[in-house]
Amino acid sequence: MELQLGLALPPPPLIPIETFDLNSYGNYETREALGTNALSWPLLKLGPADNDINNIHHHNSSSSSSSSGGGAGCKKRSFDEAPFFDEKRNVPKTLHLLLWTNQPNDEDDDPSNVLHENSSSAIFKNDGEGLVGWPPVKTWRKKVHHQIPNGGTENNRLPAVENGIGGRASKSTYVKVKMEGVPIARKIDLSVHHSFEGLTNTLMRMFGISDGNRKSFKLTYQDREGDWLLAEDVPWRTFIRSLKCLKLIRSRG
Amino acid sequence: MQKKMAYSFPDEVLEQVFSFIQSDKDRNAVSLVCKSWDEIERWCRRKVFIGNCYAVSPRMVIRRFPEVRSIKLKGKPHFADFNLVPDGWGGYVLPWIAEMAGAYPWLEEIRLKRMVVTDESLELIAKSFKNFKVLVLFSCEGFSTDGLAAIAASCKNLRELDLRESEVDDLSGHWLAHFPETCTSLVSLNISCLRSDEVSFSALERLVGRCPNLRSLRLNRAVTLDKIANILRRAPQLVDFGTGYYAAELQPDVFSNLAGAFSSCKELKSLSGFWDVVPAYLPALYSICPRLTSLNLSYATIQSPDLIKLVSHCPRLQRLLVLDYVEDSGLEELASSCKDLQELRVFPSDPFGAEPNVSLTEQGLVAVSLGCPKLRSVLYFCRRMSNAALVTIAQNRPNLTRFRLCIIEPKTPDYLTLEPLDVGFGAIVEHCKDLRRLSLSGLLTDHVFEYIGTYGKKLEMLSVAFAGDSDLGLHHVLSGCESLRKLEIRDCPFGDKALLANAAKLETMRSLWMSSCAVSFGACKLLGQKMPKLNVEVIDETEPPDSRPESCPVDKLYIYRSVAGPRFDMPPFVWTMDEAVRILH
Repeated sequence: MELQLGLALPPPPLIPIETFDLNSYGNYETREALGTNALSWPLLKLGPADNDINNIHHHNSSSSSSSSGGGAGCKKRSFDEAPFFDEKRNVPKTLHLLLWTNQPNDEDDDPSNVLHENSSSAIFKNDGEGLVGWPPVKTWRKKVHHQIPNGGTENNRLPAVENGIGGRASKSTYVKVKMEGVPIARKIDLSVHHSFEGLTNTLMRMFGISDGNRKSFKLTYQDREGDWLLAEDVPWRTFIRSLKCLKLIRSRG
Repeated sequence: MQKKMAYSFPDEVLEQVFSFIQSDKDRNAVSLVCKSWDEIERWCRRKVFIGNCYAVSPRMVIRRFPEVRSIKLKGKPHFADFNLVPDGWGGYVLPWIAEMAGAYPWLEEIRLKRMVVTDESLELIAKSFKNFKVLVLFSCEGFSTDGLAAIAASCKNLRELDLRESEVDDLSGHWLAHFPETCTSLVSLNISCLRSDEVSFSALERLVGRCPNLRSLRLNRAVTLDKIANILRRAPQLVDFGTGYYAAELQPDVFSNLAGAFSSCKELKSLSGFWDVVPAYLPALYSICPRLTSLNLSYATIQSPDLIKLVSHCPRLQRLLVLDYVEDSGLEELASSCKDLQELRVFPSDPFGAEPNVSLTEQGLVAVSLGCPKLRSVLYFCRRMSNAALVTIAQNRPNLTRFRLCIIEPKTPDYLTLEPLDVGFGAIVEHCKDLRRLSLSGLLTDHVFEYIGTYGKKLEMLSVAFAGDSDLGLHHVLSGCESLRKLEIRDCPFGDKALLANAAKLETMRSLWMSSCAVSFGACKLLGQKMPKLNVEVIDETEPPDSRPESCPVDKLYIYRSVAGPRFDMPPFVWTMDEAVRILH
């Protein structure tokens, strides 16, 4: 891609959109549903009168020369920040580092194909569990209980404390641990543990359970769906990602 | 010899006049009139808002405005809310507190959004500002209840402590007990984000009981339903209340106690909380429903019939936040009952499920747009949409100022015609001439951006995901949207051309975020070199961007204007394109 460094004076006007050749851009994605990126877009009449194509292009050319850059245009803008940017300085209206031309790319090996691959692999970064940050709901909302209460009449569940580390990455990796029969819950830092062995050792120490008595306890955890599961039944990674809180129960029989 | 202008006023008179000017925009305009006005104005400016904490340094602020009493700072970009900004990126408030501790001993108010606040910062606040009154930590993190204890203990005139949506390391519920018995000044207390089971309830009750000016109280989940009545009876003057858990086995005496407590709150206009709701307890609210203007049920997992019953008792409702359990039928009821509605937010109950779990479609939104003439602000998560519906909404509600639509599956087309939703969103920007904020979703080509560039003249913030075909799309926005301040883009095929051709535009905006797009490292370097008033940050957690060819796209890019120059608190995975700093980094 040829970069032409445009300097301040005088800036050539941006080429109006009707001469822009879309076909010079690599297809980042084939869109069979859409057909080609044909230039003759019908700008659909959305409302009364003023949607004439000519008007729109006029509108575009006049707006493009005043839209970017500082200078007089800035003063009308509503900056709600302290005005540390001196709007009186002589900033050219369209300083651009690249002249927007309609020349097709010269190189045959359009990097866009490479880019496409890179960007699509970047999407599924979350270990194939889906898109990172999509849908755009805050961590708090992800933890809303999905289960629809039965008829919604009686709901005698104890408040479940949601302190799992599956949500927003934060410096705090503490999880609540309760032991059956003990009223006070404790907290444990999961980031320093990397196996069930290590975790169990810490828990035994925390609750003062001797080695001999170890066998009579089982470690369970509550996952994001609210279900209680046996910790040993799942791989460590799954456990870490889905757990909300822990409970030591006495194993019977 | 200078002729004194006949119409010039003494400084004291001007200062008095300026004191009536509260808006930042107007204050900025005043300071541009002439040097002497600038000088007078800067000495009497008491409130400063800094939309990007890295746009300017604390020293610069202090130098220009020496007598500030109230400061508002924002840190991380908006997409940090969705885990797109890695931990440790920045947004630390400590340097600001440290500088202000010396320069503004009379600072009264600190409001922060998306910043990293440490216990050390909180302790410094508690120690440094003798007349400290307001602390609002919106979506902040990095601190614990120990820091809160310091604030509680030291700030004798504390009026507001609002931790909304912050992530707090909840070490102990006893921090509340650190409010001295002499503290009676609280007006607003929001601890809804605290996750602990342990809240010192007796300390809370006593605190509430001795603050006669308490207007806003938002509890956390630890407070069970049976305790609400006690709290309310101690604060019948409340205007805004956030419940804790609203679930318990139905018991008649608990119910009537609760209903009685609510009815004694004659000023109550706003409710929130409602984690784990038992519908049988909702009628306890009926006595206050006719006065309610704001209702946040976005954590309430109750079904449409119960929601309908509740909402139909609230004819004055202006603001409703709700889960998609409300369904189209609930929204139709809302449209017929709540003619004062201005803001509606519908959140997904099962955002990651593949199939719809509720009957909420575009119909619900269309119904509200038709029935609620004052509707201005919409946030709507759904699974299908059509151009026809969007056009109808746009025609019904040209007074929309915020329109954020999230169709859960990326690139979903119009479900009726299978076409892109360009025309629908185009209608929104065309008809809603005062639209300031827009979020796009669904299948979209470059056409939609042409509409946005053409019509979105008042648009200040635009969020784009999985849309567009080429750089032309981005070019339309950057060249057409005159009022654009914040642009955030993810997973779009926008590359170097549009960005470089509109480089100067970036200096007129607060910030641009682009992740999983097609902007090359070379273009970032060029921007960084040629635009000294921009900080160009490349974020890549896997490997340094210069370990690959320059034509390779960067993972994440954050560009913002700044007069402070490049920052020096960057973590290893953030690279600045400022050449000099990059070499040192």
